[in-house]
Amino acid sequence: MSETKVNPIVDMRHVSVDFPVKGALPFIRKGCIQAVSDVSLTIHRGETFGIVGESGCGKSTLANAMIGMVKPTAGEVVFDGKNLYELSRDDFKATRRDMQMIFQDPFSSLNPRFNVYQIISEPMFIRGQDSEATMKARVIELLELVGLSKDDLYRYPSDFSGGQRQRLGIARAIILNPTFLVCDEPVSALDVSVHAQILNLLTDIQKKLKLTYVFISHNLAVVKSICDRMIVMYLGKIMEAGNVKTIFDNPLHPYTHALLSAVLDTDQTKQREQVILKGDIPSPIDPPKGCRFYQRCPKAMEGCKTIPAPEITVEEDHVVACHYVNGFPESVEKGEGYDTPLKQQADE
Amino acid sequence: MAEQTLTLRNLKVVFPSGMGLIRAVEGVDIDIGKGESIALVGESGCGKSVTSMSIMKLIESPPAITKMDQLTFAGDDIKDYTPSQMQSVRGKMMAMIFQDAMTSLNPVMTCGKQIDEMFMRHMQLNKKAAREETVKALELVGVPEPRKRAKNFPHELSGGMRQRVLLAMAFACMPKLIIADEPTTALDVTIQAQVLSVLRDMQKKHDVSLLVVTHDLSVVANIADTVYVMYSGKIVEKASVKQLFKQPFHPYSAGLLASVPSLSDTAGHFVQIPGSVPHPMKKPTGCYFHPRCHYAKDKCKASMPPLSAHDDGRQVRCFYPLKTNGGTSNV
Repeated sequence: MSETKVNPIVDMRHVSVDFPVKGALPFIRKGCIQAVSDVSLTIHRGETFGIVGESGCGKSTLANAMIGMVKPTAGEVVFDGKNLYELSRDDFKATRRDMQMIFQDPFSSLNPRFNVYQIISEPMFIRGQDSEATMKARVIELLELVGLSKDDLYRYPSDFSGGQRQRLGIARAIILNPTFLVCDEPVSALDVSVHAQILNLLTDIQKKLKLTYVFISHNLAVVKSICDRMIVMYLGKIMEAGNVKTIFDNPLHPYTHALLSAVLDTDQTKQREQVILKGDIPSPIDPPKGCRFYQRCPKAMEGCKTIPAPEITVEEDHVVACHYVNGFPESVEKGEGYDTPLKQQADE
Repeated sequence: MAEQTLTLRNLKVVFPSGMGLIRAVEGVDIDIGKGESIALVGESGCGKSVTSMSIMKLIESPPAITKMDQLTFAGDDIKDYTPSQMQSVRGKMMAMIFQDAMTSLNPVMTCGKQIDEMFMRHMQLNKKAAREETVKALELVGVPEPRKRAKNFPHELSGGMRQRVLLAMAFACMPKLIIADEPTTALDVTIQAQVLSVLRDMQKKHDVSLLVVTHDLSVVANIADTVYVMYSGKIVEKASVKQLFKQPFHPYSAGLLASVPSLSDTAGHFVQIPGSVPHPMKKPTGCYFHPRCHYAKDKCKASMPPLSAHDDGRQVRCFYPLKTNGGTSNV
């Protein structure tokens, strides 16, 4: 596989993740939350892959399924040629070393009772192959890489600011030389002036260590600057996927449009037209049968209610799942007046 | 400037702690005109929330020591108001919108009842009349089916709805000043756009003065007329939004603006401000920003620059403000 030019590091095929919900009372119907439903994607080696969406759209669950933290209810995840969920326990553990995660909140993801050395060396300590001296040397090396000094070795997380804590989180994530790193909103808990520092650090490390990143964010401006390819998710489904440049130059899905216009620009000269979405993201317990976005979509038609929108490649490296863009599929039975615009409800 | 809603002069807030004094706010002046929208911008720990809370006199003393030369609100000198006098001002004359709607609403009371209280307390309405007003207030901020929503508990509503309930509560008695402390930080981008547009419309329609406290410059660009940039307890720049975004004078404002990733940027390295905010107990000598400033000279290390006035009512606390035609180069 390594000879081919396109060399996927992660390949997800029709992955769905459902979480069962128990009814409050025994006779109430039990449902399940479809956090991710039928998502297929490939991530190439060395790229930065962005996952964008509102909270509750399943982006974190998708990333967790990618690195084997949540077992998908359907579909398969192939990491580096190996199907993650069919590996034996030992093989799985060995594979897991190649993937690491950087968490959103640097305040709750570091153990307050561990000092810096213990925090960063923990993955190595658990692997149990190195002597104390090698671990210490490696930790110091990493501290310098992330812009801290070896004087910080025995300090505790409470001594550090948010940005410095996130640096510790990054050092911990890369200590075992992973090839694949999931960054789950790495800067959203930090101050604006520190955002740039952490993002620059991440891109520098990527170049130095030739890592593949999955970058989860709701900040489209950040995604635009650092990602190569991206997907836009809504209620567990991919709405639009492809090359970042293509999507930003030519966003096709109405949801992508709305997301883009919701990003406030600091540039006063460029006040763009705002599409303000009505209502909130619906509950994933009982998602709409058709297109999942139809209730909030300004372009929705009658048919969108019942006919699911398939993902269709519109141009090279650009996939869109929308009836408005692609037209309704011919093979599906359509009701009367399927292409009349859906009347928007008062305010929901 | 026609009518002043709020004049604050030389506010100082100090928190004594075991290891020394934390000087959270050091001499802040704020003017808010009628119907004006002001933003207070800064990183966490720069004293912006403390400033806004002191205006409402919500900072408990002790432990805090609050000093100010003048606090005039709607023509009344409220500097020496007692807590019970303040109670008739808060809610009725000035209201606050907090950051986290989940924690600032009472989880064991329905949303409607919490807004009813405003009317019952400040307008002496009975229960029934208050509920009618509540429904109207909820309708104004765009809550669908307000009568039904009023009977919901906070946890039954989504984040955006909860924030709207807070907006309704703040606007309930049509106060003269609304202080919004990070009103959209906990929300998604699409919901943020909704809430901001409601806030902006309500503010313009009812001619209410607004003080937005935030760290998000993109929110500032969309809602404020005038911006105060705070750093380490001091105002470092005051300018109108247009001026600030066109040409920031203070290096810190410039750095802050440049470090916000924007959709119109092309891909590449992010501009960053080196270092981090100084610890409130170990503030540097001279200009507080000099250790992080590219343009710092010896003079900056020795003494704190004054807040000097420039054209068009701009104020900058810097010896070497960035000007396109000035000596210092542009960023």
